[in-house]
Amino acid sequence: MIYKTSPEIGGMGHSVKRKEDLRFIQGKGNYVDDVNLPGMVYGQVVRSPYAHARINSINTEKAKAVPGVLAVITGEDLAKANLAWMPTLSYDKQMVLATGKVLFQSQEVAFVVAEDRYIAADAAELVEVDYEELPVLVDPNKALDSGAPLVREDREQKNNHIFHWEVGNREATEQVFQSAEVRASVKAFFPRCHPAPLETCGCVADFSRATGRLTVYLTSQAPHAHRTVLALVGGIPENNIRVISPDIGGGFGNKVPVYPGYVCAVVASLTLGVPVKWIETRSENLQSTGFARDYHMMAEIASDRDGRMKALRVKTLADHGAFNATAQPTKFPAGLFSICTGSYEYAQAFCEVDGVYTNKAPGGVAYRCSFRVTEAAYLIERVVDVLALELKMDPAELRLKNFIPEDKFPYKSSLGWTYDSGNYEGAMKLALDRIGYQELRKEQAEKRKKGELMGIGISSFTEIVGAGPSHDFDILGIKMFDSCEIRVHPTGKAMARMGTKSQGQGHETTYAQIVAQELGIPAGDVTIEEGDTDTAPYGLGTYASRSTPTSGAATAVAARKIRDKAKKIAAYLLECNENDLEWEPGKFFVKGAPSKSKTIQDIAFAAYTNFPPGMEPGLEAVDYYDPPNLTFPFGTYICVVDIDQGTGEVKVRRFLAVDDCGNIINPMIVEGQIHGGLTEGLAIAFMQQIDYDESGNVQGGSFMDYLLPTAVETPHWETDKTCTPCPHHPFGAKGVGESPNVGSPAAFVNAVVDALSHLGVKHIDMPITPWKVWKVLQEKGVAA
Amino acid sequence: MALKIEKTFEVPEPVEKVWAFLSDPRMVATCVPGAQITAQVDEKTYKGAIKVKVGPSITDYTGEVQIVRLDTENHEIEILGKGQDVRGRGSASMKMTGTLRALDNSGTEVRSVSEIGVVGILAQMGSRVITEVSNIMFGEFTKNFQARLKEPSDDPAAPATGADVKPIKATAVAWQATKGLFRGKSESGS
Repeated sequence: MIYKTSPEIGGMGHSVKRKEDLRFIQGKGNYVDDVNLPGMVYGQVVRSPYAHARINSINTEKAKAVPGVLAVITGEDLAKANLAWMPTLSYDKQMVLATGKVLFQSQEVAFVVAEDRYIAADAAELVEVDYEELPVLVDPNKALDSGAPLVREDREQKNNHIFHWEVGNREATEQVFQSAEVRASVKAFFPRCHPAPLETCGCVADFSRATGRLTVYLTSQAPHAHRTVLALVGGIPENNIRVISPDIGGGFGNKVPVYPGYVCAVVASLTLGVPVKWIETRSENLQSTGFARDYHMMAEIASDRDGRMKALRVKTLADHGAFNATAQPTKFPAGLFSICTGSYEYAQAFCEVDGVYTNKAPGGVAYRCSFRVTEAAYLIERVVDVLALELKMDPAELRLKNFIPEDKFPYKSSLGWTYDSGNYEGAMKLALDRIGYQELRKEQAEKRKKGELMGIGISSFTEIVGAGPSHDFDILGIKMFDSCEIRVHPTGKAMARMGTKSQGQGHETTYAQIVAQELGIPAGDVTIEEGDTDTAPYGLGTYASRSTPTSGAATAVAARKIRDKAKKIAAYLLECNENDLEWEPGKFFVKGAPSKSKTIQDIAFAAYTNFPPGMEPGLEAVDYYDPPNLTFPFGTYICVVDIDQGTGEVKVRRFLAVDDCGNIINPMIVEGQIHGGLTEGLAIAFMQQIDYDESGNVQGGSFMDYLLPTAVETPHWETDKTCTPCPHHPFGAKGVGESPNVGSPAAFVNAVVDALSHLGVKHIDMPITPWKVWKVLQEKGVAA
Repeated sequence: MALKIEKTFEVPEPVEKVWAFLSDPRMVATCVPGAQITAQVDEKTYKGAIKVKVGPSITDYTGEVQIVRLDTENHEIEILGKGQDVRGRGSASMKMTGTLRALDNSGTEVRSVSEIGVVGILAQMGSRVITEVSNIMFGEFTKNFQARLKEPSDDPAAPATGADVKPIKATAVAWQATKGLFRGKSESGS
């Protein structure tokens, strides 16, 4: 149990109002596009209309002749400085500006710099590019065919294959399948979708010829890592680079990669010696920056007739687009996809993934997801439902029968992960009870008799987050620890800085609550600052639900270091032995004499004014936290839908999310995270897809075609929780940001399929649009 | 993006007169909104241009039109047109087969089957919009075709080249396309 501090202190478990919201709701946030520097000029990217074409020539003369245009940069220009290509986060390389040929529609071809944003946009229209169209590779299933168009001529390997990755025991799994009483399989496509953060990507690059320093205001989820990449790519000494991530309007993985526009702005600023601003339009964001998912998956479960699962095998084709720019820990080309065993026990499992190039935008970012965990959770929760259909067993009963039992944690999965803690049965039983599962099944049976369509979908997902332990996790070689530095000021107020970067998660509040919990300094007296690489300690940033598991842990550990020192100062002030002191958040007191005490504020003042002889003055600490394991949040989501037979429209009647993310810092923020993630999950399940036609034209490249859910589409979310603390985290937290996005798609799809299962429907791919459902209803002769 | 559009309409003119018109790309071009023939390359090949403006996006295609097949006996013509936007914003192609059939009332039935391919900015509008835009263009084409046939025949080259041709109207098209979406399911809607 976590000690509950007073509301005045506002430590863990208090729904402290978000400090950052005061400026956000007043429109006083400071985003990259709010940064305006004297003499600043503007960049505009010229993009390819073709998915695959040879560039015969680029004529920039007309654009350069426009008054106000300062420069037009092409790939050829960058090649002279050896900057036409840049490394991706997955040991591939990516064109900054195209040379030779373009590989996807909207690829960056030239960069126009002008005194004014409008002039830059107009001049970009005047850049004439002579293209020669090439055959286009759109379908990843054809990527490895002989005679398939070769996407990457620059590679030594002359095919479109990027990687093959497998884990588990293929032969042993095969054996189980051969003798299995029952097999159930599903082919499920997790469509290419896009995080579509409210704020698009952009930067202001400011190179000062006077100081030789480059300051980059960047929409970055990982400012420190980006500083290192800029140093490596640009050859600028890292001490001369300062990356500042100001307020960020949502990231969801989209702001992890380095984009060509950033590099172009930096090059332009280095060349012109003035600040250069580049901000994407919405369509540029959707069409060219990191997409997510695009996994063509197959899963098969072997079980006995009683529904005891025996083995799982998974085969996946991953469409990575034109460059392998997925943000992935080095050892894991398919991320943490091998969490696909989910919440269940099997004797054997085997999983293989092949990545291929196509003529599509690069990406494969972890959209509110800890590297392919969403794909994995969706797949397993889908195939379990198919098995339930096969067995004619209730999907809840089948799950309960196969859950990893509570007493088996820490549990080593057949694909190699050590699950930290869990009580899957507990979460599920609470969910079934709260939603009134048995009554809903009765209602469904009655409705079916009347010919009405109603479905109940369950998803009992397990997550794997908080990357990660240095023995397995690095990006470009940099280990995935994270950090915190706390300075307690003489008056007892504190400042803490982290290597992570909030994009709306509420770090300024939650980190302050951790300090409050550990030191008893009121959360309101603790200022949190992130995102400035000149001041914050090094860290790998915020994504993969890693802030609480890594920097949150570092914050607690740093605070404990301060507390250790504070104890020494308290003993000095109280003229007693350290061992005679007891702590309660906010003060040390003498055992048995609680009136003899020193508050943390008294101690802080003494740390600068009256510290023990020989002691180093001040009250500060820093911690770089290397987590011993990942964390495994989980939950059960239940969705109830009604389907209109006339229109195929799916109406979500109820949705209950029972989450277990271990100990909670701020219940209100956790609930907000769950609401947000469920809404994104709803959009993915029913509305969104970045699709391409056969010529490689983007068919989801604007908000006209890529739909965002509004209050109108969003149902009422019901939430509840169980609490199974993480055994290895300093305060037992697991992280929650992604759970709703990871767990919900399967619940939505399972509900729709459940409503139609008596008609012989086993699976429908997302996005489940009314048109798709209506077609199924027509086929089955049900459509009104 | 590939679309297939089939249209059939009637004109109150004898089949031979209609054939003389249909088999001459210079004449046909005068009926296509926003299009013009700029030069003749050889007996079967012409250079041409077409401006299409949808919303804020103007595409200005230039390219070639070629008569692939001319079956005078059966009154059937197959035309292949290919063009690139002058500023490299994309390309378009069209294969059109036109067939004439004499009607009992001494009029003629014109049947066209067009396969249209669009790559680039315009194609991003999606098939729902592009199909509607094409439908509207064909509607305009039919009207112009019928009107031009009624005119006394003159030098076919005169109206077809050199004229300052206006692009098809942006807002009107967008609005009609929107109405089209609600009118019913478009052929390739998905």
